[in-house]
Amino acid sequence: MTVALHPSTFAQTAEMSKRSILALWRQPALVVPSLIFPLFFAALGTSSFSRATSLPGFPAVDSYLDFALAGAVVQGVLFGSTVGATALATDIENGFFDRLLSSPTTRSGIIIGRMAGGMVYGGLQTLFFILILLPFGLSIEGGVGGMLAMAVGGTILALAIGALMCAMAIKTGSSEAVQGAFPLVFIALFFSSAFFPRETMSGIYARLADINPISHLVEGFRDLTIEGLSMSAVLRTILIPLALAAITVTLSLRTLERRLGAR
Amino acid sequence: MTALDESTTGAARARRDVADTKLLPASVGLMTRSLVNITRLPSAFVPSIMMPIFQAIAFSGTFFAIIQIPGFPTDRSINWFLPLGVVMGAGFAGIGIGFATIRDLEGGFYDRLRLTPAPRMSLITGPLFAALARAAIVTAVVFVVGSLFGARLTHGPLGLLPLFAAGLGVAAIGTGWGLGLAYRFKDMRAAAIMQLTFFLMIFLTEAQTPLFIMEGWLEGVTRVNPFNNVIRLSRLGFLDPPMTWNDTWGGLAALVGFIALTLLFARRGLSRLSDV
Amino acid sequence: MSVTTLPIVAEGLQRYFGSGDDEVKAVDGVDLRIEAGEVFGFLGPNGAGKSTTVRMLTTLLSPTGGSARVAGFDVVEQANEVRRNIGVALQDAAIDPLMTGAELLKLQAVLYGLPKNQHASRAGELLERVGLTAAGDRRVGTYSGGMRRRLDLALSLIHEPSVLFLDEPTTGLDPMSRMSLWEEIRRLNNDGTTVLLTTQYLEEADQLAERIAIIDHGVIVRKGRPAELKGEVGSPTLFVTVDDGAVEQATTIVQTFGELRPSPEGALGVGLTDGSSAVSNVVRTLDDAGITVRNLELREPSLDDVFAEATGYRLEGADA
Repeated sequence: MTVALHPSTFAQTAEMSKRSILALWRQPALVVPSLIFPLFFAALGTSSFSRATSLPGFPAVDSYLDFALAGAVVQGVLFGSTVGATALATDIENGFFDRLLSSPTTRSGIIIGRMAGGMVYGGLQTLFFILILLPFGLSIEGGVGGMLAMAVGGTILALAIGALMCAMAIKTGSSEAVQGAFPLVFIALFFSSAFFPRETMSGIYARLADINPISHLVEGFRDLTIEGLSMSAVLRTILIPLALAAITVTLSLRTLERRLGAR
Repeated sequence: MTALDESTTGAARARRDVADTKLLPASVGLMTRSLVNITRLPSAFVPSIMMPIFQAIAFSGTFFAIIQIPGFPTDRSINWFLPLGVVMGAGFAGIGIGFATIRDLEGGFYDRLRLTPAPRMSLITGPLFAALARAAIVTAVVFVVGSLFGARLTHGPLGLLPLFAAGLGVAAIGTGWGLGLAYRFKDMRAAAIMQLTFFLMIFLTEAQTPLFIMEGWLEGVTRVNPFNNVIRLSRLGFLDPPMTWNDTWGGLAALVGFIALTLLFARRGLSRLSDV
Repeated sequence: MSVTTLPIVAEGLQRYFGSGDDEVKAVDGVDLRIEAGEVFGFLGPNGAGKSTTVRMLTTLLSPTGGSARVAGFDVVEQANEVRRNIGVALQDAAIDPLMTGAELLKLQAVLYGLPKNQHASRAGELLERVGLTAAGDRRVGTYSGGMRRRLDLALSLIHEPSVLFLDEPTTGLDPMSRMSLWEEIRRLNNDGTTVLLTTQYLEEADQLAERIAIIDHGVIVRKGRPAELKGEVGSPTLFVTVDDGAVEQATTIVQTFGELRPSPEGALGVGLTDGSSAVSNVVRTLDDAGITVRNLELREPSLDDVFAEATGYRLEGADA
């Protein structure tokens, strides 16, 4: 394993990042599930569940949007980062990836370069949702600090999910397998408090939502929106994605090593 | 089999005695093909059964609390959301025909089908029968699994009729719409449009909450959306209020109307294939 | 009456795409009269309008002008009757990768209205005929390109049509498969099937077709028997090799039979004004002059020459 010089590692990573950002930009198929759908459901929810906000277990909100923002952001970032991995799988399928591997780019540079596009997108998505919902009655108690914390959280979450999908793409080398992961992400999202408070759920469903890290992540975002800037909220918003990212990035690097070792 | 008569500059004809291909056998042949093919693509087939089940359960678990709102027409959230799962599953069974047709068009197999003397309508009715069969299966499966999760028919087995009517009807609508779009675009863009429009149609209704709970823009849209009648129809057997003809005919009329429109759309699209 | 009973008749067949400045005249007035039992070759480069013409004749595409009758039926008004009587194998094998060869044949049998008790046997017959019996129960997605073509041909023959359309049947095939397919086409033709085949290979047209039409930019520029067409182009070239010492004298002699033409080293080339029948005269005259002919070669104008003369350019892949 050759050790690349630091300046050139940076340059190569930057190059790969630029490529992946541009690729993401050119995918209109990305826009709908990661931007339109979450906003659509938030809009539906505002009309459907405004009465529900007076139910026991619901946090006190002026508008359902205050409640819904968190779920919309997490939903959008989850879906958005799945798409990036499909592109990687396609690269593997048509051999581009192998060519990359034989170039002097470092291994982690390849992964991070790939993820960079998704990360930037994740951060921008978060800000986009906030800004677009503000005119519709959204208010963020946590202020600018809260918004920044959410943007950071969104960025890291995009890395975490992207790296997981990356590992899948490298392991299976098939874009169909990666697309198959989409429903799993969907399921994980639903068995959480992304759309409704855990306190209103019952039975096994409530238990599952309780142990699902996505619930706590979403609630971090939610608290920043509804209650204000608190240590607990910021920690949940940023640490949970960070922990997930640590696991998934390691996983994808290991998978990459294994793939290279197998040659 | 007769040899060609040299003295007439013979009206060339097939030597086999081929009779007119009848609509029914051609449709059955194409239906069988559709059904067999879907089982050969487990990556499409399994989700098509699992997703509706998941949707029914996930929605009823997530939005469990809405049954506590005074005046809610049932005290079981699974009762409220099971029919939604059925409608989504059945609709996507229909749209799945659209996907398969895009594959056929892109791969060239559709030329083969159009070259046969099978009646043009059979190219639509065959896959339509397949979609209906799939929808029936999905409806049954979702009902059984939903029952395991606590769903109960509130007016006895009669309540299954509107559920199946809605399921089969929505599958037919999905088929017509999917085919029409496939013929129009002939590539995967149509797939994205199909999914999006269907999703919109299903959710711009009382899919998630009853009308009396809604406020704002969605309430207005739901009131004028004829598809809402179909959602209502599917739920008739699972809600507390009695099943009346008044509630039923609206749904059936909406189904008939949508089915007629989408099948017409498909039929015209099929004819237009030879214009490009 | 006889016009309507020819297997293929086209009058002023036309297909335009688009409109205004973007209008493409893919087929611009094609007339055809194919005789029963003949093999007719439609020769032209990519984009000439061959496939578009075939699609119109086989009811897949409506003409924007003109008319055509196939098997005695109008392609627009009586499309289904046309379909019942024709077999078609298009340029790209039109198959479904998820189904097996046998299943596809049986589906064809259903869609062509064959009696139910014949489906399995007919499928088996055709699989054997194209050499795919062993692969019949495998999914077509696993077939090689050559196998797919063979299956495609089998699919087109399910109802023993009397008119067969083959659109570039051997493009992309290896020489063995090509020979094999040519054999099959000849066999079908011997059974009485009328065949219209399109090709961009001169040799294929030359080998298989009794008559050909050369199509270029949507119009037919030449039509007729290959031999006649070649004859129209010009005279055959005779290459004569004589001893070095006799070259000058031989040149004078051969020049009386036609114009001199470029020739390979050591040989004399002459275009025989009176055609190939003059060969014996040339030899006799040389012989009378005491010149020994070491080597003699007669080269007819080729279809390549016919094509070049008709269109102004050479067909690519002519040596294929």
